[in-house]
Amino acid sequence: MKVYVDPERCQGHTLCAMAAPDVFTLDDIDGHATALDGEVPADQEAKAAEAVRSCPEQAISIIS
Amino acid sequence: MSTQPIADDDAERKKNQFHFDRHTPEYRERFEDITGEMLGKCPVAWSDTYGGHWVAAGHPEVFELARSAEYVSNDHDPNNERRGYKGISIPSPDVGFRGGFLEMDPPEQRHYRQALNPYLSPAAVARWRPLVDEVVRASLNEKIETGQIDFVDDLANIVPAVLTLAMLGVPLKNWDIYVEPVHASVYTPPNSPDIARIQQSRLAMRDDMLLQLAEIRANPRPGMINALAQAQILGTTPPDAELLGVIALIIGGGFDTTTALTSHALEWLSQHPDQRDRLSAQRDTLLDPATEEFLRYYAPAPGDGRTITADCKIAGQEFKEGERLWLSWAMSNRDPEIFPNPNEVDLARTGNRHHSFGLGIHRCIGSNVARMVFKRMVLAVLDRMPDYVCDPARAEHYQTIGIIQGMKHLPASFTPGPRIGDGLDETIARLQLAVNEQRLAEPVTVRKGAAEIS
Repeated sequence: MKVYVDPERCQGHTLCAMAAPDVFTLDDIDGHATALDGEVPADQEAKAAEAVRSCPEQAISIIS
Repeated sequence: MSTQPIADDDAERKKNQFHFDRHTPEYRERFEDITGEMLGKCPVAWSDTYGGHWVAAGHPEVFELARSAEYVSNDHDPNNERRGYKGISIPSPDVGFRGGFLEMDPPEQRHYRQALNPYLSPAAVARWRPLVDEVVRASLNEKIETGQIDFVDDLANIVPAVLTLAMLGVPLKNWDIYVEPVHASVYTPPNSPDIARIQQSRLAMRDDMLLQLAEIRANPRPGMINALAQAQILGTTPPDAELLGVIALIIGGGFDTTTALTSHALEWLSQHPDQRDRLSAQRDTLLDPATEEFLRYYAPAPGDGRTITADCKIAGQEFKEGERLWLSWAMSNRDPEIFPNPNEVDLARTGNRHHSFGLGIHRCIGSNVARMVFKRMVLAVLDRMPDYVCDPARAEHYQTIGIIQGMKHLPASFTPGPRIGDGLDETIARLQLAVNEQRLAEPVTVRKGAAEIS
C-alpha cells in the first residue's frame, strides 16, 4: 500500500497524522501533510486507510 | 402592487424552498428535526429569510460549495469598493469594517494566513502546552476545595483567553478585559437591558487592542500582533482599522468557540458517567476521536455565509452572481450518508469527516489551538474532579445558536480535593515572566522548543 496527499487539496486539518502518525508528517509552518514516501508498513495499513476516510478535504488517495 | 413576475428560471431554480431562520430559539430546540427534514428533502434550499438566501445542509453539497473558492466569496465590502458583498454573516451586521481575513478572498486572505501560520501550526501550538497546563491547574485550584465550579466561568472562559492573549503578545493579566465582551456579546440580544454595559466592555476591549498595537509598533515584542504590524499585505502595510478586524477575528475565534466545545462536552460526559469513565481510562486511544466527535456533534461555529461570484452550477444547484449562501457545518455534520447514527455521540467514531472547522482555504486557522486547549482542560477535569455532576437546573445554554452554539453557565458539584501549587493570579504573573524571558510568542520559525515553566 502506498498513499499520496494532494498538496492542492490539503488544508492542514491534521486528522491524518492523528490517525496514522507514522505515515503522515505535518509541516512545521502550516501543518499541511505529506505521506511517507514508499510502502506503508503492513501494521500501519489500517491506520492509513482511516486517514484516507477521515480527511475532511478528501485529499489523500491510495495509489497502489 | 408589484407586477414583477418571478422569472420562470428563478421559480425552477428555487423550487426547493425552506423557511430557514437560524437566529430563532426554535432552531436550537428543533435542530435535529429541522436538520433531518432539510437533509431528507432539500440538502440545498432557498430560504425567504433575511432578504432571501440559499442554505446548504447536505454533507456532499457543503463539501463541494465550501471548496469552490472561485465561485464563492467571503469578501465583506462595506464601503462598496469592489462588488459590495456582505461577508460571512447573514444577515450582515451593519458595521463599517471587515471581520479580518475570514471576510477576505485570496490573495489578500492568503497573505494574512501566511503571516500567522507559523504561530498556529501544530508544531507552533504544541510549544504552549506546558503553559496551558499551568493555567488549567491554577483555574481548578480556585474551586477545588469548595466542591463547586462553574465550568464556563471558572475554567473554559479563562484558559482559551489567556492562551490567545499570550500568542498575540498581549499581557496575560488583561484576559478579564477581553472575556466578558467576547462571551456576552455573542449571547446577549440587542434589546437586552444588559446591552449598554456590554457595549462599554466592548469599547474597553477595543481601546486595549489599539493600545497593544501601538505599543508593539513602537517597541516590538513577539506575538501575532507583531506579525500583523510588520506584515506586507498586497505589498503594503494595512491600516490599523484593518488590523483591528484581524485581531478581533483571532480573539473571537480563539475564545468563545473553545469555551462552547468544552462546556458542551463536559455536560455530555456528566450525563453519561460510564462514557466519562471509559474516556478517562482509555484516553491514550480515545481522546483524539472523542474530541473530533464532540466537534462534529456540537459544532461550536454552526456555519458561515458566502456570496456567489458568478452564475454557476455547483452540487446540482444553479446559482446567480450576488446571491447569498449559508454553509451549515452543523447540519452537514449530521448527514446520515456520511455519519451512521448521526444524532448519537460515539466517542470512538471513525471516518469522522466533520466540517466544524470549515473546509477549503478558510479552514479555521486556530483549529490546532482549539484541539489542544480542549484536551488539556477535559483531561484535568477528569483527573481532579472525576465524579463531577453538572446541575441541569442551572446549566444555561445560549438561547439561539445562529452565531455560536455555546453555554452561559455550567455549574457542577464534585468531591472536594486539594489545591496543587499556586492560584490563578500568582500563576499568571509567573507565566508572564516565562513568556517574556523565553520569548514564547515567537513564531515556530524562530523558536522551536516548548515553554519551560518552573
